[in-house]
Amino acid sequence: MRRKGWSWVWVALGTLYFFLPLVATFLFSLKGKKGVLSFIAYAHVFSDPQFVQTFTFSLEMAVVTILAALALMIPTAIWVHLRLPRARPLIEIFALLPFVIPPIVLVFGLIRMYSRPPLPLVTSPVLLVAGYVVLSFPYVFRAVDAGLRAIDLRMLTEAAQSLGARWGTTLFRVVLPNIRVSLLSAAFLTFSIVVGELTLAVMLAWPAFGPYMALVGRDLAYEPAALAIISFALTWGALVVMQLLSRGLRGPAATPGGVH
Amino acid sequence: MAFVELIDIEKRFGRHTAVDSFSLRVEEGEFVSLLGGSGCGKTTTLRMIAGFETPTSGRILIKESDVVQMPPNRRGVGMVFQNYALFPNMTAGQNIGFGLKVAGRHPEERERRVGEMLALIHMEEFRDRYPHQMSGGQQQRVALARALAVHPSVLLLDEPLSALDAKIRMRLRAEIRAIQRKLAITTIYVTHDQEEALSISDRIVVMKDGRIEQVGTPFEIYNRPATAFVASFIGSSNLLHAIVLDPEQGKVAVDGQEIAAAGPLPGKPGQEVRLTIRPESIALNNGIPSNNHLKGTLANVIFLGSIVRLVINTGRSELLMDTFNNPHLALPALGSDVTVGFAPEACVPLEREREELLSPTERPASYVPPAAGD
Repeated sequence: MRRKGWSWVWVALGTLYFFLPLVATFLFSLKGKKGVLSFIAYAHVFSDPQFVQTFTFSLEMAVVTILAALALMIPTAIWVHLRLPRARPLIEIFALLPFVIPPIVLVFGLIRMYSRPPLPLVTSPVLLVAGYVVLSFPYVFRAVDAGLRAIDLRMLTEAAQSLGARWGTTLFRVVLPNIRVSLLSAAFLTFSIVVGELTLAVMLAWPAFGPYMALVGRDLAYEPAALAIISFALTWGALVVMQLLSRGLRGPAATPGGVH
Repeated sequence: MAFVELIDIEKRFGRHTAVDSFSLRVEEGEFVSLLGGSGCGKTTTLRMIAGFETPTSGRILIKESDVVQMPPNRRGVGMVFQNYALFPNMTAGQNIGFGLKVAGRHPEERERRVGEMLALIHMEEFRDRYPHQMSGGQQQRVALARALAVHPSVLLLDEPLSALDAKIRMRLRAEIRAIQRKLAITTIYVTHDQEEALSISDRIVVMKDGRIEQVGTPFEIYNRPATAFVASFIGSSNLLHAIVLDPEQGKVAVDGQEIAAAGPLPGKPGQEVRLTIRPESIALNNGIPSNNHLKGTLANVIFLGSIVRLVINTGRSELLMDTFNNPHLALPALGSDVTVGFAPEACVPLEREREELLSPTERPASYVPPAAGD
């Protein structure tokens, strides 16, 4: 009993540690008007055309990055699983590189490489998306890889092929629906990386949401707190959407010993 | 004309040869099992027929056309896997209809065929269940229906029952055989379970180290094993090292005691030959004069339920003998001298093993036949 009591104390302390700053930020964000609690800071944020512009830009970039990253990673992960399991350690090393190389190094490399012919891409959003794809690579690869591990990819693809399915059908009707949850988590991780990203957007001079948040944080008092709460709500919203979309997708294995 | 024909198939993975010199003809409507221990190449052979592996050399003909370069989705071969391989995102009905949908069949036709298949496996009420809502046995029946729905020319089953418990296994194998007979579909079945292979097949291909040891009906494989491996792999058997006395008359000596096989034997007088005798072909103290007799001592008695197994020591050899259990069974005491008898037909000479043919092993330098009356 005594041990159980202590564990509740630790849970309470942990909860306070996580939620106190959040509650404090939220309360602070409500103090935009002197003496009363109000949503005026939120109203300011939403009425700022820059908020909408930068958020929409980042949203677009996020969608393009997600599509590009998945289009690259799904075939790669399937190929590694089915044909090149020995290449896995190599891919794992590649997947660590974005953690080891700081974004500032990455962006200077990109600028140096793509600011002159034959590929002068430095003014094109393609380069920004390419940079985001690199940053999201570890998360996307791991999510897709985990999804493929959870199903028996080889057997399912072979079963589909023996039933006459070509690769495209096998991919879209069998493989992807069964790793839907992993694809969603890859997509949302990429989304949160892109929406909050600062270095690439600043150095490549794009009006993205990350630089906007930094700017607001530097110049204003209550609006940054409101923005933090909005970002937090967006993240939670994304998680809820993920849960809702993944509902109804059952695990592949049946428990043996049921009614025969 | 064979329906499926494998001609001199070889499959190497790097330095390892998984399948070697494999040739087999399977007739239309026939049920053939590939039987062997793990790593004997049986599953690799099946996967080559399905198109998931490409032979290093050799040809595979299905209905007389060479399919070696044909992708799996164009071979018209149905496959049932060990772990069912049902698509988790589809119901039983959708799984069964998948191949028809891929083939672009009309929805009405698809529905009708799915209904037929569910009726065939007696699972009409499971149409809307997802794989995780079914037991292993039910999933495997759906997998079988799914493979059959597209009217494949050949049905391949890769250890379909080994993930199931014993009771379900027995029931499902009878069901598989009944469905196969009803549809008269050419079937190749991979198993490591000899009882399964014996009970279900028209013919069995026993494999070892990537090669065929013997091909025959279950009756032939069990009663006339060609090699020591087949004799020991299928059921229990006694392997006796005998010395040829008179090859024409089939006479040999086992531990100095003379016995006779039914027909002429390979080899010359004085050469060693291996014989196999099934334990159930041996009886205790039977006085039939035409029979062979061996003397020995009773070393052990093992109670196996319906059968009692006696271990008899004849000197260099140990002989197993099975007798049916009954409540009045009176057995000699352990250590006492016993005489066992068996018909000459029960003595099956074995071919020499490949490795023996390749590298000569030690043979007895000389052999002195037992003195007359000994």
